Amino acid sequence: MPSKALKIGLTTVVLTAAVGGLLWTTMSEGAQYYMHVDEVMVEPEAWVGKRLQVHGYAAKISRAKNSLDWRFEIENNGHVVHAEYNGVVPDTFKNESEIVVSGRLEGHRLLVEPNGIMAKCPSKYEAKPSIGGEAVITGGESARETGDASN
Amino acid sequence: MATLGTFTLLAAFIACAYAAAATVAGARRRSTRLIESGIGAFYLVTALMTLASAIIVRAFVTRDYSIRYVDQYSDAAQPLFYKITSYWGGLDGSIMFWVFLLSVFGAIAVRSNRERQRELIPYVVATIAVVQMFFLFIMIANKNPFATYLTQLPEDGRGLNPLLQNVYMVIHPPSLYTGLVAMTIPFAFGMAALITGYLDDSWLRAVRRWTMFAWFFLSLGLTLGMIWAYEELGWGGWWGWDPVENAGALPWFPATAFLHSVMVQERRSMLRVWNMTLIILAFVLTLFATALTRTGIVQSVHAFGEDPQLAMLFGGFIAFVLVVSFGLVIYRLPLLRARNELESWASREAAFLVNNWILLFSAFFILFATMFPTLSEAVTGQRITVGPPFFNKWMIPIGLTLLLLTGIGPLLAWRKSTISNLRYQFMWPTLFALGTGVGLYAIGFHVWVSGICFAFCAFVVGTIGQEFIRGANVRRDVTDTDLVTAMIGLVMRSRRRYGGYIVHVGIMLMFLGFAGAGYKQTEQVLLTPAEEVEVGRFAVRLDRLSTTDDGRKEMHTAHVTVFEDGQEVGRLFPARWFYRTHITEPTTEVAMRRTISEDVYVVLAAYDMGDQSASFQVTVNPLVNWIWFGFGMLALGTGLCLLPESRFAFLASNVPAGTAPTATTTLLVVALALAGFVTPARAQVGAAPPQSYTAESELEADLQRELVCVCGTCPHFTLADCRCDTAANMRGQLREQLVLGKDRDEVLQYFIETYGSQEPLGAPLDQGFNRLAWLFPYAVGGTFLIGLGVVAVRWSRRDAAKEFQASPSPEAVDAQLEARLDDELRNLD
Repeated sequence: MPSKALKIGLTTVVLTAAVGGLLWTTMSEGAQYYMHVDEVMVEPEAWVGKRLQVHGYAAKISRAKNSLDWRFEIENNGHVVHAEYNGVVPDTFKNESEIVVSGRLEGHRLLVEPNGIMAKCPSKYEAKPSIGGEAVITGGESARETGDASN
Repeated sequence: MATLGTFTLLAAFIACAYAAAATVAGARRRSTRLIESGIGAFYLVTALMTLASAIIVRAFVTRDYSIRYVDQYSDAAQPLFYKITSYWGGLDGSIMFWVFLLSVFGAIAVRSNRERQRELIPYVVATIAVVQMFFLFIMIANKNPFATYLTQLPEDGRGLNPLLQNVYMVIHPPSLYTGLVAMTIPFAFGMAALITGYLDDSWLRAVRRWTMFAWFFLSLGLTLGMIWAYEELGWGGWWGWDPVENAGALPWFPATAFLHSVMVQERRSMLRVWNMTLIILAFVLTLFATALTRTGIVQSVHAFGEDPQLAMLFGGFIAFVLVVSFGLVIYRLPLLRARNELESWASREAAFLVNNWILLFSAFFILFATMFPTLSEAVTGQRITVGPPFFNKWMIPIGLTLLLLTGIGPLLAWRKSTISNLRYQFMWPTLFALGTGVGLYAIGFHVWVSGICFAFCAFVVGTIGQEFIRGANVRRDVTDTDLVTAMIGLVMRSRRRYGGYIVHVGIMLMFLGFAGAGYKQTEQVLLTPAEEVEVGRFAVRLDRLSTTDDGRKEMHTAHVTVFEDGQEVGRLFPARWFYRTHITEPTTEVAMRRTISEDVYVVLAAYDMGDQSASFQVTVNPLVNWIWFGFGMLALGTGLCLLPESRFAFLASNVPAGTAPTATTTLLVVALALAGFVTPARAQVGAAPPQSYTAESELEADLQRELVCVCGTCPHFTLADCRCDTAANMRGQLREQLVLGKDRDEVLQYFIETYGSQEPLGAPLDQGFNRLAWLFPYAVGGTFLIGLGVVAVRWSRRDAAKEFQASPSPEAVDAQLEARLDDELRNLD
């Protein structure tokens, strides 16, 4: 009986160690820091070159004529980071929409990875939620005012 | 109306509380009356939830925008169909829909198992009622779908999000919910078995089908979600490892594991604790999936919204369920001890065990990676996310291993495979797989992950083909028919086994589609009219842009022409639609050219009506349609496994005995035809040979289908199906009795007396299951109960008591016999 327990114990230890080790090594490649713009921009130098996911609100979206080169700003609590992107953007990517952008910081610009823009439109499933009077920024009304839908 | 709705929910809550209390009290005091009244209250919940659903649907249809939920999720211009489906479009309604489904499934499960699982039923009712109470509490306290506006009624609703106005989105949530909700039933039976200590395998028999049912709908829901993402979201993929997608997939893994390991318990009486654990985990993960979608603990594009209070509620309930259920498992450990040990690693049970570990590991890995941002924030204060590459790095090898096991499992024998046995079984599939792998490499397929996947697929095909051909050959020699007829007979004879193989074929085809992603090509370009872009063998040319309006939405359409190897093969119209009610949220309408070998997938990303230029994302997705096709096979296989024996008895009893096999084969051929698999050669199977042990009279044929084999090794096949000695013996007894001139009831009586219980009677087993097909009328019928209102509890009690007395076998009431029945059932293995 003790030998059986030993076997099971050893197997568990070895498997856990192996899996844990593999997780650790693969994680370092896939992991990204998830930050809000204001957290990053307090000390941008510390984050240069690291893979980031930056959370904030899109602003001043512009696209160079006849190209897929986008420039926009991501802002949150008064801090702003300039972002550059080449490619197709999601439907819900608008001024003032809540976005999460994956990319690398170079200088003071965020270079966005291909398909790195994730627009989280709050009204996607929940039509303008405002739960229990909490200040949830919905973007619904303001987006309607700007009305710039087709870019 | 809204007040009535709220009142209905309150009444349902009270009825649930009563049902739980009465059944538990009844079971403890052994008071049938109390239990029956609890069950009555339980049915009443179903009726009340049906009423509540009817009220909300009515509010949607009659545009009652004073109800906040109706205002938020519908508008006047919506087609009726989408008005009804708005019911589950938002958080509050989806929770109500959840309870509604649970109450319906619960009622069906209780109804169909009431006689067979009499000891378990009170606790089954109590468990389900507690779960219902939790969700009802959330609705009443936190998320009432009947909440109204106090002032200022809106004139028109805000409308369901256009992304959700899609036929897949109409069926995707209900089927996923069906899967998630149905998982509660096995859990309830598991809990009941633990509480009562009746831990023989009879509870497993009651829940196996439910698990399969839940598993099927989970698979369906996930597949529909993939199709929806693929066709509607327009990023060219079908699975993005989004937290909400992951959440839906989590319970699928323990459910799959359970469906496999339950066979080990049935055959070898092993893994009892394990199976119970899987059931509990599957249920907890369904709760977790629901919580994840609705509380916003994890950031996701799909999440309904953020709500920390709800997160606390769910967290508390999940903790409660875990503590109680695992507490019970530990308490009952002595009764759950395995009766056999693993004899060899080269055995089928070992293969199942490995499959289980891997499936469970997948579930935990996905759980871990999904929760990682939240976990890392809690531990280090730094939110670190892991993206799809991380998931893929892990899930691809795991998936491939599972695929390989799909091939290996059926080749191994139970208990222990000998060397010669292994050689005999593995030779052809291995050669086939190697041949495919080398062949593909030779003709220039060099993505090695996909290559391995193709080779493994070939291995699975080899395995299953070999199983079918060997089985059919044996049967052909026995029944003296051609191979195809023999094969169909084979499938019908042991539906579970061969249905399972067909499911495996479906899984294999899906993997084929997944592997195709290795050869995906994609381009993002800006085109001016007459310009074209090349992607692989294809080229896409922009012709022009146009704007049209259909009253509900403005449609901006690009007209493009697709060329394959320089030849024009078709025109596509990718578009952006602007719904009036959601003018700021245009939807992308993907255009696709679908073929068996690949899809050309064109998305209109941005455009300028002025100079007619437009940017596109063009993707060539090889083999992607095999995923959906594979799911079709999976559905066919599951359908075969799920077909209850009595369904056939029911069909056959309406036709002359001799034609019964024809009817079933015709059914199968129709099913195959639907799957697009029928070939002219199969037409001849209509004339399947009569069974070798043909019944001499219609009555005998009927009874052969009604009585089940009691040998204990088969899963209670009917006498018409089972081939073991016990069944042959019982057929002999049946013939003997009929020769004596006894009628139907007398014969059944004889069997009950001879075997000391109702065990040989197949009928009570599946009676309820036929009703699954009548789910809707049944639910509607439930609403009539409302008219009886509060009296319903008493009414059902009296009615049930009457039914009880009128039961066709008074012996069952006899305490002594009942005790014997219990005893037998417990010793049944």
